[in-house]
Amino acid sequence: MSAIASSSRQSGASTKVLNRVVIYGLLALFALFYLMPLFVMLVTSFKTMDEIQNGNMLSLPKAPTFEPWLKAWGQTCVGLTCAGIKGYFWNSIKMVVPAVIISTLLGALNGYVLTKWRFRGHTLVFGLMLFACFIPFQSVLLPMATILGSLGRFGVSLQNSIGTSLGLGNPTVNLIFVHVVYGIGFTTLFFRNYYEAFPTELVKAAQVDGASFFQIFRRIMLPNSMPIFVVTVIYQFTNIWNDFLFASAYAGTGDAMPMTVALNNVVNTSTGVVEYNVNMAAAMIAALPTLLVYVLAGRYFVRGLMAGAVKG
Amino acid sequence: MAFLEIDGLRKRFGNVEILKGINLELEKGGFLVLVGPSGCGKSTLLNTIAGLETITAGEIRVDGRAINDLHPSKRDIAMVFQSYALYPNMTVAGNISFGMEMRGVPADERQKAIDKVAKVLQIGHLLQRKPSQLSGGQRQRVAMGRALVRDPKLFLFDEPLSNLDAKLRVDMRIEIKRLHATTGTTIVYVTHDQIEAMTLATKIAVMRDGEVQQFGTPAEIYNNPSNMFVADFMGSPAMNLIPATVGVNGHGLAVVMQREAREPISLPLANAPAGLSEFKDKPVIFGVRPEALTDPEGAERNASAIATANLHIEVVEPAGSDTFAVTNLGGKGVVARLRADANIQPGSNTALAFNLTKAVFFDPATEKRIF
Repeated sequence: MSAIASSSRQSGASTKVLNRVVIYGLLALFALFYLMPLFVMLVTSFKTMDEIQNGNMLSLPKAPTFEPWLKAWGQTCVGLTCAGIKGYFWNSIKMVVPAVIISTLLGALNGYVLTKWRFRGHTLVFGLMLFACFIPFQSVLLPMATILGSLGRFGVSLQNSIGTSLGLGNPTVNLIFVHVVYGIGFTTLFFRNYYEAFPTELVKAAQVDGASFFQIFRRIMLPNSMPIFVVTVIYQFTNIWNDFLFASAYAGTGDAMPMTVALNNVVNTSTGVVEYNVNMAAAMIAALPTLLVYVLAGRYFVRGLMAGAVKG
Repeated sequence: MAFLEIDGLRKRFGNVEILKGINLELEKGGFLVLVGPSGCGKSTLLNTIAGLETITAGEIRVDGRAINDLHPSKRDIAMVFQSYALYPNMTVAGNISFGMEMRGVPADERQKAIDKVAKVLQIGHLLQRKPSQLSGGQRQRVAMGRALVRDPKLFLFDEPLSNLDAKLRVDMRIEIKRLHATTGTTIVYVTHDQIEAMTLATKIAVMRDGEVQQFGTPAEIYNNPSNMFVADFMGSPAMNLIPATVGVNGHGLAVVMQREAREPISLPLANAPAGLSEFKDKPVIFGVRPEALTDPEGAERNASAIATANLHIEVVEPAGSDTFAVTNLGGKGVVARLRADANIQPGSNTALAFNLTKAVFFDPATEKRIF
């Protein structure tokens, strides 16, 4: 009896080990496959052109150099101007930061109203918001261009009458506007689902305490929304920073061009030899902010922040 | 004029009427407990008093002033929630003073008020902690502190003890009672626990399906339930409600109950009220609490009407302080409450004494009290 039991237990253990080996082996293979291009990019960006033309793509740089990074940042040609990508990097920052902040705050406000201040037809409104998440970018390109055009004309007439256009017609403002509008669907979805599980008694207690609609939002809801804030900011930052379609459609030329479009123009500039190392460095620079957001914000991605609000 | 008056209050959600005309009043310093099974509307009623729910019809007055159209913060009430609803991002002191901060009370006055409340509730050492660092009982205390600090006209408690474990619940129950006795505040308290209702209240309103079934002092509710629902809901173990008929025994009326496999028992009703004779030979529900059905030695000495009957004991449950014996009358299990050391065996036939002065009668058709 015991011999049979122990042998079956043994075979069970060996199957388990085999399963683990297969699972981890496959995972390692996929990870390698996924990381390979990144590795090539990284090593290439530290090589000289000589080494790239005569060496192996996968080999480590023999004499690592920062030259391609500096050139990409300060000297490389984007289209016809050769002042590096730094200006476009700041363009992106100026566009992404307000767009992320505004869309996240609006999403939080929407989520708050849709869960704690329910009104007739709130499910319909939420349904429509949800629907916005499924609208393909391409289908709104032309209508949005028309709207931005009329906003721009309105900006010009404002400029003539009151002396300021309030930023209407400015390509950066246009992009912020588009990304906020497009992002509200997602941010509302995130915050609504988070606030749905947020204890309503806290809102009631604050009402009895005499807090107003916005006081409750600012003092009770927002301080307890850190996890969903981090999720939303990461999501929005990555999406807006990486967006190429809207950026090239509404700010594809001129000084307001964001990073993604500029990178494309760097790579497509056809003067002389293709500087692979500079291109790779420029691409890495373009990718850095999203990486940074993950690293920094991820640290604050703490669960269990609500512990203690209700019975724990 | 009463301190809290609720007059013809109705609440409708769409086509569903949640509260069907509630009339209650409470004197200043009173302790009103709203009790009933879940879904009876007791929490909704409390929320309408707090102003967290609007009302469809009727009026709520506190100290002679109609408050039903005021914002919750303008009603001069404080509320303790079932989940305590402490703001997790604020310290205990922040939680207690948040309401004052919203009302623009200066910082030094707030500090004074916090210190005073902390002293009453003995939470001074917790003031700088966050709610997540507190135990259940401490959170409960802080939640009460947040209510106390407002010094309101009316305190509202929404099942404040239901999240605590059994022992702590008893401790906090005593603490709430002590708090009420020392501060003399007026309290409305919601619970589904009839023991909490009995121990805390000066007035109880038993609710079912959005209606007040009975409103009175704990003793009235317990001893003179107005219908079978109240009789069954209040008291643990519940009152025995035995199907019976009114018959004749000698010269007087008697209550006749079926026993299993034996002849029915007939208990003479010595001073039956005249009204009961109308029910002669008709079915009634005979209600007797377990403590009014006991061993003959344990029966109340000064009860004027005691009837003894020999009953077959099916189950014996020793509960430490008492021993409960289950028998069968009128086709239903009937619980008798005996002394802890009563010598009683399951399966035996034992004489048990009915204290008929404490017995009540209901009409089985209407479930209303007859006598």
